[in-house]
Amino acid sequence: MLRLRPTATGGGLGVSLAISADGGSGLPTATPETIEEAAGLMANLPAGGDRIRIHGGGSHRGIGYPVSSDVILSTSGLDRVVAWEPDDLTVVVEAGVLVEELEQMLASKGQTALLPEQPGTGTVGGAIATAISGWRRYRYGPIRDRVLETTLVSSDGRVVTAGGRVVKNVTGYDIPRLATGSLGAMGLIARVCLKLWPVPQASATVPVESPEEALEVAYRPLAVLETREGAAVFLGGTPEEVSGQAAALGAVPTSGLNWPSHPSGAVRFSVRTPPSSLRGIVDGLDPGWTYLAQFGVGEVTVGAGEVDLEELGELRGRAESLGGALVMLDAPPSLAGAFDPWGTPPPSIEIQRRVVNLFDPGRRINRGILPGRI
Amino acid sequence: MLTLPPVVQPLTTTIPLAVKRSLELELRRRLGDEQVASDPLDLYVFGKDSGLVRGEPGLVVFPRNTTEVATIMRLAGRHGVPVVPRGSGTGLAGGAVTTGPHVLLVTTRMNRIGPVDVENRCVWVQPGVINLDLSIHTTPLGLHYAPDPSSQSVCTIGGNVANNSGGPHCLAEGTTVNHVLAMEIVTSDGDVLSIGGPAPDPTGLDIRGLMVGSEGTLGIVTDVLVNLLPPPPASRTILLAFPEVQNAAATVSGIIANGLIPAALEMMDQPMTIAVERFANAGFPTDSAAVLIAEVTGHPSAVDAEAELVRRLAVSHRATLTRIASDEAERKRIWLGRKSAFGAIAQMNPDYYLHDTVVPRTRLVEAIEQTYAISKRHDIPMLNVFHAGDGNLHPLMSFDASVPGVMERVDAAGRDLIEMCVAIGGSLSGEHGIGMEKRDYMHLVFDEMGLDAQARIREALDPDGRLNPGKIVPQGSRCFDFGRPPPVGAWV
Repeated sequence: MLRLRPTATGGGLGVSLAISADGGSGLPTATPETIEEAAGLMANLPAGGDRIRIHGGGSHRGIGYPVSSDVILSTSGLDRVVAWEPDDLTVVVEAGVLVEELEQMLASKGQTALLPEQPGTGTVGGAIATAISGWRRYRYGPIRDRVLETTLVSSDGRVVTAGGRVVKNVTGYDIPRLATGSLGAMGLIARVCLKLWPVPQASATVPVESPEEALEVAYRPLAVLETREGAAVFLGGTPEEVSGQAAALGAVPTSGLNWPSHPSGAVRFSVRTPPSSLRGIVDGLDPGWTYLAQFGVGEVTVGAGEVDLEELGELRGRAESLGGALVMLDAPPSLAGAFDPWGTPPPSIEIQRRVVNLFDPGRRINRGILPGRI
Repeated sequence: MLTLPPVVQPLTTTIPLAVKRSLELELRRRLGDEQVASDPLDLYVFGKDSGLVRGEPGLVVFPRNTTEVATIMRLAGRHGVPVVPRGSGTGLAGGAVTTGPHVLLVTTRMNRIGPVDVENRCVWVQPGVINLDLSIHTTPLGLHYAPDPSSQSVCTIGGNVANNSGGPHCLAEGTTVNHVLAMEIVTSDGDVLSIGGPAPDPTGLDIRGLMVGSEGTLGIVTDVLVNLLPPPPASRTILLAFPEVQNAAATVSGIIANGLIPAALEMMDQPMTIAVERFANAGFPTDSAAVLIAEVTGHPSAVDAEAELVRRLAVSHRATLTRIASDEAERKRIWLGRKSAFGAIAQMNPDYYLHDTVVPRTRLVEAIEQTYAISKRHDIPMLNVFHAGDGNLHPLMSFDASVPGVMERVDAAGRDLIEMCVAIGGSLSGEHGIGMEKRDYMHLVFDEMGLDAQARIREALDPDGRLNPGKIVPQGSRCFDFGRPPPVGAWV
């Protein structure tokens, strides 16, 4: 269980930081315990051997182009809950805090950061760097709607704070929103302030035949999900609302939110489409694949043992023609080189490149990971 | 006609007369005379938004489509003249006021609403569409546009995007940024670019999110794909009155602590309630220190229980009135009263200055008490109306600017308000933007590196300062040159 701890003041800078070898990659790994240490480390890496890869909990390491690096910076030492203001519905945490532990702590006072459900070893920093939203986004919106403030450590050791610790704010450019999903390219996401929501008093899972029809009947459910095993509506609210909505859906609910498992497999990817096109995409998936489709949102996550490149390419073509995308989440090395992880870069790619280059001019952190190999 | 001295001295630039003439000639030739105004009266009228800062544009242009916006950007760029976008001019921070004889690009003729995509609940709208017109247009389809600023009957969607506007109902529904899926922009180079899309999570950085709230300094929005929502199946609007402001604030905290996020939680203090009641006859009690309007929306089986919870909490905090609107007419009357607050002020004095700051919700009482102290200290009456649910304060100063010395006191009181809110953990603006008004206060919330990062964003999208110069980012913010610092121990 997490406890609230004051931010430790930085002792030495990066030069004195112990660097150990990473078990998997054999690369030197630094585990700073304070933001100041992280900044010192970044500023003092030797030129020429200074490409940095950031590691969080490792739950989404397969996203983006492969990154070659000289050093790994692990966020596991940045594990403090800096401030929790239950009455303001805000929490300030460092990047390495585990999603599961944070949510447990918040639940003790009936609150949630709406971070991804079933996060495994995922960290808060990782969830924000990858912009992976939880399934409750149909009701509450995507993760970037809740990142109020970010403290980034740039590759030359500058500590940049943007946003603010208030729930409504238009003071300056929305750098927190840009950092969410940046995969570290604007700097190490070291500390964030998140907007919280109260956990509804009651919740239920209602099995349904048709997610589309359920969306017409239910008023703003938390989620409407479908897997190979069937579909369900996830409800939250006052006890009166939950039982009323369940009755309207005409099925016997089970109490609580019984989330399905993530699709598994050596290959995992996400297809994003306008919500009304999701059914067409889901019905066209290979019968050998497992999936989890978020109706009303327009995203389906797919797991497969192996995939046919042509089949995957066709699926990407359909998603992109609808204005969406097919994004690889995990791929074996053989596939990683043969199939682009992002697909066609968005039209704003040159603006993105300019922004990133101004925040990390040498492109030292996770170089080339983003669309357009930024 | 009354001219108020500017609160903030604009950064002024000069443009040689010959350059201005050549640009005007070309614009008239390319867009037509109807689309270009340079008459001194036009320049005067368009020299202001709804705040206190005044500027004077060199030219005013009224493009009708994206191509014309791109033409204006390119021609102005070639002449070295910056372009400042403007919607209806309801902004309060000088965001649409030129800081020199620049081209003011008024979007009001770009007011087409595209076909509504009912299945995906979204629609493309041009920036000049009036906020309320959009909801009126989509109501027959059972949909509405959620952000509802008090100025919604006059403000434009483009202006809402520029300021990330909120409104009373953004507590549960979010502000503009939560309702914009995609947009088309004209960049500082005059290129047309599509950003975001109808599917969730477009790949790469969220440039769409960055554009929202950027006050026309990063690009000119020429088309916006907005999300629409079905109206809630049921709602209850509750009018509450309290003997002390503290009781109202405690009720707000109590509601949130009980796990309820109402659709709206709006507070007015007694001076404001008196002004509003005189103006709108909304049935607000004028003998209470604070009035709170709470609205709960949702499933029919939920709203009664939620309204009862709100009522019970209010009673436990000494509420002297708890009235649930009995019908739609009464509900509308309550909201009309709330949204008339700024009109009501006009009865008291010739001038007003509306502030917009935000504090953590838990510091509301302290913020209000200090606001009263500041009002007294500078002898400027302040009325308070605010989005209590998210700690967004709107102290409204009422005064007569023709009285010698008043503007100096208004300016000083404004500065004290901002410094007070920042000191208790708040920020400069909740929904009105930084513009010119608060540009020089940015250092209160950002350190040098924070300001430098803001300037870098600006530099990435508008390296030559062609778009709305002198806004948001204070001069001299870009002070760090990137490059590795020398290694520790090196001689420098």
